[in-house]
Amino acid sequence: MSTPEPSALRLRVLTAVVEDHPGVLSRVAGMIRRRGFNIQGLSVGPTDQPGRSRMTLTVDAGHAEVDQVQKQLDHLIEVIEIEDLTEVPRLNRELALVKLAVSGPRRDRAVAEVDRAGGRVVDAFPEGVIVEVSGEFDRIERFLETLRPYGIVELARSGPVAMSKHVPAPVAEVAGQRTGVSAS
Amino acid sequence: MTGGEIVLEALRREGVELIFGYPGGANLPIYQHLPKYPSLRHVLVRHEQGAAHMADGYARASGRPGVVFATSGPGALNLVTGLATAFMDSVPMVAITGQVNTTLVGRDGFQESDVVGCTMPVTKHNYMVTRVEDLPRIIKEAFHVATTGRPGPVLVDVCKDVQQAVFEPVWPETVDLPGYRPTPEPDPEAVRAAAEALSTAERPVILAGHGVILSHAEQELLAIAEKTVTPTGTTLLGIGAFPVRHPLALHLTGFMGTGWNLRAVQECDLLMCVGMRVDDRVTAKLDEWAPKARTFIHVDIDPSEIGKNRRPHIAVVADAKAALRQMLPLVRPPQAGQRHPWLLQIDRWREEHPLRYTTSNGHLQPQDVLIEMYRRCRDDAIVVADVGQNQIWAALWWNYLRPGLFINSGGAGTMGFAFPAAIGAKLARPEKAVWCVAGEAGFVMTAQELSVAVEHQVDVKVVLLDNASLGMVRQFQDDFYGGVRSQVDLAAMPDFVKLADAYGLPGIRVDGTEQVAEAFDFAERTPGPVLIDFRIDPGANVYPIVPLGKGLNDFWELPDEYA
Repeated sequence: MSTPEPSALRLRVLTAVVEDHPGVLSRVAGMIRRRGFNIQGLSVGPTDQPGRSRMTLTVDAGHAEVDQVQKQLDHLIEVIEIEDLTEVPRLNRELALVKLAVSGPRRDRAVAEVDRAGGRVVDAFPEGVIVEVSGEFDRIERFLETLRPYGIVELARSGPVAMSKHVPAPVAEVAGQRTGVSAS
Repeated sequence: MTGGEIVLEALRREGVELIFGYPGGANLPIYQHLPKYPSLRHVLVRHEQGAAHMADGYARASGRPGVVFATSGPGALNLVTGLATAFMDSVPMVAITGQVNTTLVGRDGFQESDVVGCTMPVTKHNYMVTRVEDLPRIIKEAFHVATTGRPGPVLVDVCKDVQQAVFEPVWPETVDLPGYRPTPEPDPEAVRAAAEALSTAERPVILAGHGVILSHAEQELLAIAEKTVTPTGTTLLGIGAFPVRHPLALHLTGFMGTGWNLRAVQECDLLMCVGMRVDDRVTAKLDEWAPKARTFIHVDIDPSEIGKNRRPHIAVVADAKAALRQMLPLVRPPQAGQRHPWLLQIDRWREEHPLRYTTSNGHLQPQDVLIEMYRRCRDDAIVVADVGQNQIWAALWWNYLRPGLFINSGGAGTMGFAFPAAIGAKLARPEKAVWCVAGEAGFVMTAQELSVAVEHQVDVKVVLLDNASLGMVRQFQDDFYGGVRSQVDLAAMPDFVKLADAYGLPGIRVDGTEQVAEAFDFAERTPGPVLIDFRIDPGANVYPIVPLGKGLNDFWELPDEYA
């Protein structure tokens, strides 16, 4: 389920806060399927509010009007808020774990390559290493391209999470400092 | 209190007076306590689909939510068609189904089905209750969600051990659903823009849908149409939202709408659709629909309907009544004489494309039946139609002057809907005459509910328009599928007079036009349910009709040789 950048107009990046109930994911997925849309990427995790989860979805709107995806999901009672981030300044991040079967001098070369490409070795054993990389879609694609000659035996990607760069007014001061750190 | 008692007490608190249901293993702990609640009248149906359609007819005729009980597995699954029917037509219903014990869920035990999963796409919302302390809140939410905003069915699946658990309920006063914003306020700017456009258009048309009826906005609609002198038609579910004998009435729009309506929609320079979805039965070929409408205004309570099929120039996302009430003082009458050419043009179309039917072939025609029926009932009866030719004939050959007098499954098109829905409608409005108009094929799909009509002496008069075939399918095969008749003849149908007799109600058969009046005399003087089997022209077709895949302009009318 790799997620290309939503360059094509039909792809929408949506972020939704949903009630953390059993079946919410099924409801969201069912709605997307039933209306003829297709999920390209999906991640779900807790928010800082108890009982609320955040979903980040990359959805192909198919033949429908693109804003239909958002409207149909907003229709669901357990979807508390939903925002279409496609057209707004945002950050996208995805995490990939890569297992490489390398040993001896190949292993040293591979580790050096991982370092150069901005990844990190997170586990190592005699037959190979596991490395991680995070970043935007293109960056992960380039990273994987670099490592492919070393023999990728397993790959796990998280699906994207996204966040708009818009800062709501009441917390602007605090967030202003953080923007300075993360802008790159 | 047990969970079963909490269910019943919650219904009583919601003001429920009637439940349509069927007991079984997984809802017995609810039924065990039902006799203690005499204010909850229960109608034991003969099939759960019948219960769902009865609750639907009850809700459409009364404006109150219909309530259904069914057990787990097959009991609940038999509701699915009825839930889908109510969902497509935005009808408020609450279905309470039994589910296996929480400890057995997911283990494929006896009569277990994933009912929440199965009904997710055909309900406005659904719940599975696994903790008794959640029951009061969930039932309150279910009624709130079913009846507010764009109404719809809500299903509550209650595990059997939850029904048996003991808990002292805390009855919530309010609901807390942060993700549910059912009634958006009209945007004053959009309303102003719509009013301005409507006031300055040369050839405006208004179309009204079910939303106008659901929000009781017919007076506001009439006032706006009259003030702006705008010809106004309705969808199939909007019938009655605008009086069909009004000089500005365009009658039925869409796929089988009147010729003058379709011409007006295709030639108008402004089209305002109120409380409707703009579905394929309204538009026929979408990209040829209303091609000259420089301004398309869409008023609907459901934001996801706006732009789903045709993107509007002006969108008013609001309850129809709220939107039209704001719009009324802002619209201006046309200048003197400004509207004459448009109204004259529509009058010419009305003369060029009258509704006609065959009168010359010696067969009993469905219109003969409906015209005689209307002569007797005028606009004071509720007509519940099934699906197919009978539905369109009942829509076109009757003068509906007020909302709520024509009930049919417009969105889902569910055969077998009419008879149980008519039972529900009659129980909701006992003071009204209720006529069920159905084809014989649809009728037999739910005919077992005759027992219910007899048991409770529900005074529904069944008018079968019996052509011994699947009439609409036969018409489509003749006209659009190369004339190949395939599986449309109903060779072995019951003798409906004997069938009625077997169930214990009077039935008569009518073969010719001359017997029609006599049959209605009999029905009207006989209390309780009556069935009349009208053996109509097997070749009778619905006209006008837009050929499949064509635009509204291409509608066919009754060929002269059949007139």
